[in-house]
Amino acid sequence: MEQFAQQFVNGVVLGAMYGLIALGYTMVYGIIQLWNFAHGEIFMVGAFGGLAVWTALPESLAENAFLALPLIFTAAVFTATFTAVLVERVAYRPLRSSPRITALITAIGVSIVLQESVRLFYPDGKRPQSFPGLVAEGNFSIGDVRIPWVSLFIVIVAFFAMLLLQAFVHATKTGKAMRAVSQDPDTARLMGIDVNRIIMVTFAVGAILAALAGVLQGMKFRQIDFHMGFLAGLKAFTAAVLGGIGNITGAVLGGLLLGITEVMATQYIPQGSAWKDVWAFIVLIVVLVFRPTGLLGEDVSVRA
Amino acid sequence: MTPVPPSASHLTSRHKTNWSEMWRSVLRLSGRWRFVLGIAGALFVWTAAFSPWASFAFGYPGKMTLSGFPGGARVYLLPLLLLVSLLFFTLPVGATAGVRAALGLLFIAGYNFIAISWEGDGVDAVAWGAWIALLGSLLLLWAFASFLWEEADGRSLSGQTAGHTAVKLPDPIWQMLLVFGGVPALLICFVYALDVEESSRFVSLICCLGAGSAALSSLGFFNWTSELLARQRTFAVILLLIAALVFPFTQDGNGYWLRVLISVGVFASAAIGLNIVVGLTGLLDLGYIAFFGIGAYVSALLSDADFTTVHVRVPFLLVLLIGATVAGLVGIFVGAPTLRLRGDYLAIVTLGFGEIFRITMNNWNGLTRGPNGIAGISDLEIPSLFGSTPLNFGDAHEVFGVSLPNFANYYFLCIFLFIGMAILFSRLGNSRIGRAWMAIREDEIAASSMGVNPVRFKLLSFALGASMAGAAGTVSAHVTQQVSPDSFTFMESILLLAAVVLGGMGTIPGALLGAGVFYLLPEKLRAFQDVRMLMFGAALIIMMRYRPEGLIPNRRRKAEFREEKSRFSAGFLKGTGELDLMQQNPVQEGGT
Repeated sequence: MEQFAQQFVNGVVLGAMYGLIALGYTMVYGIIQLWNFAHGEIFMVGAFGGLAVWTALPESLAENAFLALPLIFTAAVFTATFTAVLVERVAYRPLRSSPRITALITAIGVSIVLQESVRLFYPDGKRPQSFPGLVAEGNFSIGDVRIPWVSLFIVIVAFFAMLLLQAFVHATKTGKAMRAVSQDPDTARLMGIDVNRIIMVTFAVGAILAALAGVLQGMKFRQIDFHMGFLAGLKAFTAAVLGGIGNITGAVLGGLLLGITEVMATQYIPQGSAWKDVWAFIVLIVVLVFRPTGLLGEDVSVRA
Repeated sequence: MTPVPPSASHLTSRHKTNWSEMWRSVLRLSGRWRFVLGIAGALFVWTAAFSPWASFAFGYPGKMTLSGFPGGARVYLLPLLLLVSLLFFTLPVGATAGVRAALGLLFIAGYNFIAISWEGDGVDAVAWGAWIALLGSLLLLWAFASFLWEEADGRSLSGQTAGHTAVKLPDPIWQMLLVFGGVPALLICFVYALDVEESSRFVSLICCLGAGSAALSSLGFFNWTSELLARQRTFAVILLLIAALVFPFTQDGNGYWLRVLISVGVFASAAIGLNIVVGLTGLLDLGYIAFFGIGAYVSALLSDADFTTVHVRVPFLLVLLIGATVAGLVGIFVGAPTLRLRGDYLAIVTLGFGEIFRITMNNWNGLTRGPNGIAGISDLEIPSLFGSTPLNFGDAHEVFGVSLPNFANYYFLCIFLFIGMAILFSRLGNSRIGRAWMAIREDEIAASSMGVNPVRFKLLSFALGASMAGAAGTVSAHVTQQVSPDSFTFMESILLLAAVVLGGMGTIPGALLGAGVFYLLPEKLRAFQDVRMLMFGAALIIMMRYRPEGLIPNRRRKAEFREEKSRFSAGFLKGTGELDLMQQNPVQEGGT
């Protein structure tokens, strides 16, 4: 039983990170129906941006978590947002009226370019880079379940980020405009909404969340590499589909479910760890077969 | 005071300074100066081709320190220069072509300039020849560009008719002669390019060829050639086939290029299968290499390899069939549940399937020997046509007094494989089934209201594509003599997809060209090994932006891409209210 509870906690932590990334997928998909394949790379670029700033900090500052953490997060968010907005402007915007397959292939190209840029141009980027832990090492216990402080930190940050996102989407004028554009871009334009700006904002918001997830992932595993966005991105997209693509609550729920499933399957199925990365896809296929709309999604059948 | 007419540019450039406008007004040239600068530029480039580019010898290839002869990369300036000089007489129509050719000159000069100063540790290593090559090509670019600006301003120019005029062809006998001369000329170019060793020369050659064909294409040259080839297709194909069959006899028993061409052939065959799925039916398959891998593993397991878990040997033709069938069945299994859904879902499911396949092969130690893979796959043996001893593909042969390396056997096999795939593709594409596929691709709802069952035809396409990949995979296992999970990663799927997209969706020459580019260029560009993937990703982006229909497009497909562009917000920016941020349910139009 303790083992189950322990694994459950691990699953929630993993799921919180998947959820953060999945939000970016789901929002972009909701607005321009594009599977932004490069979003996983935005997550990776964010983590590297944070690490770059931390490396550049003087030692006295770098050791102080209260000063260093905000700096790392700011740098990560800034790098990721800049990259995402640039990508949107340069690669996706010219393709607004192209067939979807064109946009998706472009997104794959962007993903490769970002990965390779980090691999080639980040100092020693070919090898995994160690990432500072910063939050106090050690655990606290609830009964027999031990929870590392980092994990608690991750869940708290993810929770507040998601709360802020809800507030942003529902209580601000820009959020309202986002919802309008997602319903009908042409009419939104007629109502005086700058559709291009809203799309850019959507990419930026997704990038901010991905950057947070990137830094959190680095803090948890103490290591980042240029390849980490690929699998994380795929799983997060799976989480978004699982929750119902285009649905914000669904993305978070899907992320949590996927994280818990992955951890549990790895623990309780014999030889589970060798198949660690398979469960997400199996979940995906099962969901698509039995409930293609995802858990909270609307109708997603083919539409002209 | 006359009222200023509202102009579109006035509305769009309200917030920002129009930089390109500013530059143009600074750089604008009057008529006489254009010719003066143009001729000066041409003379500079001409001089540069015969002048030293490197100031001291440090191993930069092509004897670039010597003057008086156009050695090394310098020689590739000359054909472009000839083209540019001819284009002077076609102005103003040839202005676009001139700009492209001048850009080619600039790239050659710029690349070698950078490379020389890189390898020679500093700009000191660059001699005056390279400087005037840069200067000359910039002048030429300027001169031609100023013609274009004038046209953009709408002041004069009635040119730019390229692509709109009806293509005029000579008499059939001349057509045949042109093809008869053109195809060998193309092949000689190809063999020449294969022989270019140093990367500086190869890059310059590519710049030269690329800029030359870009320039010619703006003059409508390729409309003309494609019309010509369409008329004389059978003849051109026979010529190409003869050339392909003769190639091994020209290699002096050396197997290197044969081996490279074999892998091009195998991948081109798989690309044709993918072309059915992506090009004809418009489905995005991101796990295609898994089907190829299924074929390869089936073949490896059934051929009694040195390191195998199954000790049986099945005749190859049977293995080919089994591989194709198994891959096709798996294709149905994967496709059936997902093809009902929207396209992107198929993309992620196939991607997931590809990963599942790889991980399964990695973990199934009992059958596939896990990460070690199955090695030591024996050479193919098929019943001989001439004698009782079976023909072993591992043996070298002597035909017509020319000794052929053992790779020649596989080379011929690959040609047969490719031809088989190509025939299958073109017969299917021109049949009722092919038309149904294209109808689904263009508009699924319209197709289904015309009586096409989309799910059934999509499934057929997906499964056929999968079994063609399986067939190609069975051959590939024997060629590489070993299979392991590392060969079937996501990147390989993307590489195949990119080959199809780059070459041209829905065409056979496109698949061949795409596979050729992706498997030949890395052989030639070893100096760029490290930035290979970066260039490849950038190429995908640029291609999708400027030529989504590929280098050799299918006509119908091209029309489709161009038509979509003209609509305001067709394509993927279509409001469906799917971002369910609201608590209320958005009204949905026409869902099923």
